Order: sequence, then C-alpha cells, then structure tokens
Amino acid sequence: MPSYASQIIQITGYARAVLTALVLLRCAFSMLQEKYEPEIWGYLTLPGGESRALNHWECILGRSRSADIQLTQGGLGRCHAVLQRSARGRWTVYDLHCRGGTRVNGQLVRSHARVRNGDELQLNEMKLRFVDLSAAQRRTLQRRRSEPGKRYRQGLTLLLLTNFQLLLMLEHCLTAQSRYVPPIEIAFAILMGLEWFCFFLFRSRDYKGYEVETLAFFLSSVGLSVTASSEPGGMLKASALLLMGVAVFTLLGWWLRDLRRVKLLRWPMAICALGLLGLNLLLSEEVFGARNWLIIFGVSIQPSELVKVAYVYAGAATLNRIFRKRNLLLYIVFSAIIVCVMALLGDFGTALVFFTCFLVVSYMRSGSFATVLLAVSGASLAGMLVLTAKPYVARRFATWGHVWDDPLGAGYQQVRAMSATASGGLFGQGAGRGWLKSVAAADTDLVFGMVAEELGLVVAFGCLAAIILLALFTVRNASAGRSSYYVIAACAAVTIMMVQTSLNVFGSLDILPFTGVTLPFVSRGGSSLISCWAMLAYIKAGDTRQNASFALTDGLEDEEYGEEYGEYEDDGEEYGPGEEDGSAGDEGGEDGEE
Amino acid sequence: MKQIKRRASAALLLALFMVAGTVTILTRLLLYGDQWAAYSANSSVYTSRGILACGTLTDRSGVVLAQADENGYRYAGDVNVRVASLHAVGDYRGYLGASALTAYAGKLTGYSPVYGTTNPGNTVALSLDAELQSAAWRQLGGRKGAVLVMNYETGEILCMVSSPSYDPEQEPDGSIEGLFLNRCLSGVYTPGSVFKLVTLCAAVENIDDLYERSFRCGGSIDVAGVSITCTGYHGEQTIEQALANSCNCAFAQLSLELGGDTLAAYAEKLGFTESHSLDGIPTAAGHFEAVQERSSYLAWSGIGQHTDLICPYSMLRYVSAIAAGGVLREPTMLLNGHNGSTRMLKESTAQALEEMMSFTGSTHYQSVFPGLDVCAKTGTAELGDGYTHGWMAGYLRGETPLSFVVVMERGGTGYTQAGGVANAVLQRAKELYEHD
Repeated sequence: MPSYASQIIQITGYARAVLTALVLLRCAFSMLQEKYEPEIWGYLTLPGGESRALNHWECILGRSRSADIQLTQGGLGRCHAVLQRSARGRWTVYDLHCRGGTRVNGQLVRSHARVRNGDELQLNEMKLRFVDLSAAQRRTLQRRRSEPGKRYRQGLTLLLLTNFQLLLMLEHCLTAQSRYVPPIEIAFAILMGLEWFCFFLFRSRDYKGYEVETLAFFLSSVGLSVTASSEPGGMLKASALLLMGVAVFTLLGWWLRDLRRVKLLRWPMAICALGLLGLNLLLSEEVFGARNWLIIFGVSIQPSELVKVAYVYAGAATLNRIFRKRNLLLYIVFSAIIVCVMALLGDFGTALVFFTCFLVVSYMRSGSFATVLLAVSGASLAGMLVLTAKPYVARRFATWGHVWDDPLGAGYQQVRAMSATASGGLFGQGAGRGWLKSVAAADTDLVFGMVAEELGLVVAFGCLAAIILLALFTVRNASAGRSSYYVIAACAAVTIMMVQTSLNVFGSLDILPFTGVTLPFVSRGGSSLISCWAMLAYIKAGDTRQNASFALTDGLEDEEYGEEYGEYEDDGEEYGPGEEDGSAGDEGGEDGEE
Repeated sequence: MKQIKRRASAALLLALFMVAGTVTILTRLLLYGDQWAAYSANSSVYTSRGILACGTLTDRSGVVLAQADENGYRYAGDVNVRVASLHAVGDYRGYLGASALTAYAGKLTGYSPVYGTTNPGNTVALSLDAELQSAAWRQLGGRKGAVLVMNYETGEILCMVSSPSYDPEQEPDGSIEGLFLNRCLSGVYTPGSVFKLVTLCAAVENIDDLYERSFRCGGSIDVAGVSITCTGYHGEQTIEQALANSCNCAFAQLSLELGGDTLAAYAEKLGFTESHSLDGIPTAAGHFEAVQERSSYLAWSGIGQHTDLICPYSMLRYVSAIAAGGVLREPTMLLNGHNGSTRMLKESTAQALEEMMSFTGSTHYQSVFPGLDVCAKTGTAELGDGYTHGWMAGYLRGETPLSFVVVMERGGTGYTQAGGVANAVLQRAKELYEHD
C-alpha cells in the first residue's frame, strides 16, 4: 500500500474516534438530560376540590403507592380501577373487582364502561369527577413542553455522523480493490442520502426527535463498513437491505400510532410467528451447525429474526389486559413454544435471546419475581437436559474460559477475535485493513473483533454504548409512557438488542460461552438488519417527548373525529371466547386474544 | 403505569451487565492485550507462516541479534555471534520453538493498549552479551555442549550457548542430531559428581557431626556386595577434603546414611526434578529415583549416576543460590529484567557449601581457573558406553558475581574439557566486567 494512504488512515483513525464520541455524547445528552415533562391527558377532581393530572393513557387508581393516582381515603383497593384512553381520545374505566366496585354516574360497572367529560366516578366510597381536556386545552398544555433538539441540535449531530461516514468511505476507497470502489461509494452515498431524507421528511411533519435514528444509522454505517471489508461485492445488496429496513421501521412506526389497529393484528402476528417457526422446522437447511435458515426463491432468510418482531408485537399488552391471569398463561405457552423450537433448531443463542426477552416481559406484566424464578428454574432444568442430550453443546461450554488451550480447535474463532481486538488499539488498523475478515463468520459472530481491529476500540465500544443508550432512553421514557403496550414493547425490543449484543461481543471474547448470535445493525445479514430496524420502531413508539416521534400521534388531530359518538367501541374487538367474569352484559370482552 | 415504569427498570439490569462485561474486556485487554496481539494469527505482526515480522532483539550493549521489518529479517553481523546466539534468540524460519523471539513476542510486536499493533515493532534488549556468546562458541569449537553464565546478583543471563548450532542465514543441515535443541534449557544429562553438591547439601542439613567425621577411602567401597570404585585412593579425609577429592567412597557412605527419600526430597527442593520457566520458556525437568533398599543403586544415585538426570539450567539456579547466600534471583534473559527471588537454601547451609566449594576451587582448580576466585565442582558422568559428560558448575566471588554451568556432551572430563571452556568464558567476562 502506498504510504500516503497509511498516513491518511492514521489521521482519519483519530478523527473517527472523535466523531464517534461526539455523536454518542450529543445523543446521550439529548436523550437523557432533558428534564422529565409528563404529558397531561385529563384530570380527576377529588371531593376536596384537589385535582390530579392523568399523565398516561392508562392510569391505575387505587390506594397502593404504585398506583398512578393514589387515593388513600374512601376504602379503595390497592389497585381499584384502570382509567384508559384510546388513541381516539375515548376514556374507559375498567373495574378490577375490589370491594365496593366502581360506578359511573351511579351505575355499577361490571367490566368496563365509557367515561365522558364531567362524569362522576365512584370507587367504593370515593367520588371523583372526571375532566377531559378539549383539543384547545391540550394544545395549550403541550406547547409548554419543550421539544427535543433545542439544546443539542439534531441536524448538527447528523452532520457529525455524516462526516464519520465520509471518513469510513474514504478509508475503504483507499484500501479496497479498485473494482469495488464504485459500489462502496454508492452504498455509502445511499446511506447518507437516506439518513438526511428521513431527517427532513420527519422534520417536515414536525417530528423533531432524531437521536434514536441517528444511533441506528451510526450502527448501520459501522455494519456497512464491515460488509465493505468482508464482502465488498455485496455492497449494493447491503444498501437495498438498509432501504428495506428503514422502510419497515417507518411503516411499523406509523402502524403503532394507533393502538386500536395494533390490537387487531396481535393474534395474526402470534400465529404468523408460530407458522414461520413451523415452516422453519420443516424446511430449514443447516448453516454453520444451526438449522435456522430458510432458502426461498434463492434468498436465504432467518425466520427467527422476523419472529423476534412478531414476538414483541404479540407479547406486549395494554394495562387492562395485564390484570388477567389467563393472558399471561397464554403468553407463557407461546414463549415456551418459540424457545423450544429455537433449541430444537440448534440455535441456543437465539433461544436465550427469546428467553431473556420473555423474562423481562413477563416480569413487566406480572410484576412477580416468583413467576420469573419459576421460569428460570424450569429453563435451567431444560438446559441440563439439553446438555446431556446434545454433547456438542456441552463441548461448547467446556471451551468457555479455556479458548487459549485449543487455539487451533474449539477456540479457533475466539482467540482470533481476541487477538484482532487487541491489535487494533483505540483507533484501529484502518477500514478494510484487518485480517480477521478472512476467518469464518468474522462479519457476523466475530464482528466485534473485526470492528475493533479495523476501526478501533473507541468505535467498537461506541457500538455497545449506542445499544446501552437506547436502553437507558427506553427505560427513562417508561415514566412518561402513554400505554403499557408501548412501554413493554420498547423494553422487550431493547432487551433483545442488549442480550444479542452481550452474547455476540462477550461470547466472541470468551467472557460468555460462544453462541453465535448477531450484533444488532452491525453484523452482516439481511433478516437481522431488517428485524433490528423494526425493533427500533417499538423504541420510537415509546418516545413521548413533545413532537419527537412519528410513531406517536400528538393526541390532537384524532380527537375531532373521536367525538363522533359510538359507531364502534374503543377496542373494536370480537367478543372473547372466554369471559372469565361472565360480564356478558357489558361492553366488548377484552381478553379473548393473546 | 407507575408499576410498569418501575418494572421497566429490570431492563437496566441487562445494561448493567453490559457495562460490567465492557469493564471486564478492558481489564483483560490491559492485562493480556500484549499476549493476545502476539498470537501468531495476528497478521499485522506475523507473516502468513506465523513468523514474527517486526521487532528488534539486541544484546545488552545494543548489538542487533535479530531484526525483522517490512524489508525482511536479519541477524547479528558477526557470524560467531549469530551461530552462538541461535538457540537463545531463535530464528525467523520457525525451526526453533522456545526462544527469545517467541518468549518476548508480546514486547517485540510493539503492542500498546492505545495503539494496539498499528505501529508494529519494538526493540527489546536481552541480557546476553554478544562477546561472551562468541567467546563461548569459539571455545566449544564444534563440540557438543552447553554454556550458561549468569549474574547471580541480578538474575541476568549473560551467556547461553548450545552446540551444535548453525548459521541462521543458511538453511540448516537437519541431519545433525539435536541441532534444534537448546541444550541449556531443554537438555538433561547424567550429572556425575556435580550432583555431590546436592548430596552434600542434604548431609550439611541432616548429619550433625559432619565436620567431625572422617571418611576413609581405600579406592573402592563394598555396598551390599557390589564394589563402588573411586577415582583414586584418598585415605582418611574430612568432608571438605572428600568434596575436593570428589571421593565416591565418602559420598556413597553419605548417600546410604541419608537414604533415598531424603536425597529425592533435596533433589526436588533444590529444583532439579521440576520444570522451570525462563521468562515463559519451559525448561526440562530432571529425574531422581528414590532408591529404597540399601544398595549400590542408592549409593550411585547420591554420586550423580544410577538414573539421575538433570538440566544444566537447574544446576545454574542451584549454584547461583549458593553464591547469593541461599537466595535465588530467578534468571531472566531481559536486560534489567526482574523475575523476583526465592530462598532456596538456609543462609548457613549456603555458607557451608560455599566454604567447601571454595576449598575445592583453591586446592584443586587453580590450574584450571588461573587468577580467579572460584567456587566450583566438576563432574564426569559415566554413561556406561565408554563416553562421559563433562560438567563444571560454580561461581566467581568478588567483583564479578557470575555463576556458570558448562556441560560437554559425551565430551570427556569435567576437569579439563568443561573446565577449559568455563575458564575461557570467565576470563573474558572478567575482562569485560571487572571495571564496571
């Protein structure tokens, strides 16, 4: 290589690290530093005249400290009732079967009932008046909330990211074979064009939160760099997949705006997930020891990646649903099937990803550690059985922690990943100048080593930091979440991303057993990339900052036709086949699905 | 929603786990990063054949012993230094496994936690002295053998030469037996009389009236019906004289009195039966059989015959420990290297051994080491086929704190052959270091 290229890459190495740090820090401050501003959707007036704001679409009323509206007088149950707002602005109260029951304007509620502005709500002996907000009032209140990007301009962050990508492109152009230079340039140009297109598109619709997308584009550009190194011939395909991923992200995000239509698809999604897995079990081909690949019309897809999206979609639940035990049971069965199929397919990494996601979701739904403990002990028992039945899994565990004892056999990939990680230093050997790429699965299972070697530890750990940031952001947003559906879905999505990241990074560096899962956005692979962008939509739907996310309505425009009374009930669901409480006289059953 | 929000914090556990994992990676990178980067698959510092492609090894005064960069590799300019240092330094064709090039690969790669191996290559100075290497090689004159010289006050090895050797710039003649073996570290030899230093150590610590005793030598001694022959007719001797005479009769008696288990315990305690690590290069473990019955085997085992085998490196450690009052500075091949120190012997024992070795040196080896204040012991190990290994092990007192071991493989007596090589190297060392 001509020495001027080496000199350029030495300089770009520092610049890359600085830009990575800047982009991440700006996103972090922007996402985590702004002060918490709850949304206000309505008020409850107490007998003494005191008024309490309803900050969520789903509020628990009760005497418990964990209730959203804590009412210590009037002999309420710990969680007495749920007051829930639909995306169209309709309020419904769900009775949770506590002593004294719930009444709306004096009428006893058996399951749930509509609540309108000015209605009197009676919980046991406590009488409350419900005050809905008109569109104008809400608009005034919302204007007081600050929009994202005031302090840390999103455009500037994106500009920094674009510079980072330009540097990557430059390095690849210097190191790649000349025939691969045009596709590399085109792919990076598409990436940069796409991120600015989305930025201006959302901005034109007045959606100003772009940190989540920025982080995802950061990870995707690292992923594109990996592809440019390991398989430069696949650059155009990678761009096409990226376009698809962003399209899925936008579509799913838009779909999530309306909880009513979200609910419509939960059953189909669950069935779709099971169907995909069934197909997988029947038709799959073995690739690298795991049978989780399907070849359809010459295109290889990993159904398990798509199942993740459906699993989150079907697994999250709104608050009124959470209180039904039967729903949780169905969810457990659903999860168990998926985890078992993954184990049958020999993909234990993905099985673990699903299982951890299940733990988080079931804990969020049930709030009980007992359920979680039960699940963990059941799974460990099953795990022991697997270890005795499938000796090759046990062998993998035996290698764990001893990879240097067998660098040419069982530890072959890990020791190379570790050696590559160490050799890159903080700033890397330069994009395209690594050697790890020639090792099998370097751009998927060992991708952290590849990134660390070529782009340095700053960028490699930057990828981890980006995932952690998404998680912190999601958990922070939970406090201002509109519906538990969004909160649970977002938490499930970041859980999946974090578990995958941990298994990938720590597995390849021998801190965890090496299971071979992908690093979100970074590992090469179409299904994985699309699934990650889809997951991002769930995170986006949890972002309730003012005018931040296209995946949320601002709660204003729907209200106009929300007042077109009673054409259909808010849930619009079929009557559930199993109404537990037999409240047939009331409005639509809400627990028929899972 | 408050509940859900609280429960959402469960996801933070995973974030915490990721942070913990990141800290683990960083810690391991700081601790072992140089070793990871020095793994032979790392193509930024190794050739595709797994040979280090960067870094410079020099002797203690900066003479280049081996050097690799993008233009290829080269060795010392002086052919004698090149050949003499081959086994200690290693080669770039991968014939020699355990050598400085592999042991210090982590330093030679130029690894740093900040830059990794993006700027490959670093200079590592060895404690070896090219002049001494060359002198030892010339003294060996093509005879098979091993020469080790070490500064017993610092642990630095100044000379490590194994013969036969070859010029690494030429293709080696693989038909030569044991060409690639570093005899200093990986060879094991029947010790013969140098092993009497081990038996003597056991005797000093276990026989109370050792110095009052008189040992009678009539040219041979009968043990359980078998005659143990001696090198001469020594008559009545003190223990001091018995060592100086290297009297088999006296040491046969001591061995029988001490017993096989005690002798084996001392062979182990003094480091002869285990493998050591010289900066990561494993050395050969010796062998000592604890003979239980009172037989000629037991007697011979205490005289360094029977099935006894020791590695020259172990003997170097032992005499260095005696020289330094019983405390061993663990040897190193790095200039200013430190591998710590361990107490191998009681100070009183070390002193007693030194007095006796000094007596031997001054009474019997004056002609071998003219002008040197030497404490030493020879050995001429009978191999049963008419050949012998010649040993000379000991150290200099005074201004040049050097310990040494010379083994001449199937090469005659310790006194003349090994002693001659040892003397030449030590005289050269004295010239070089006396006025430092």
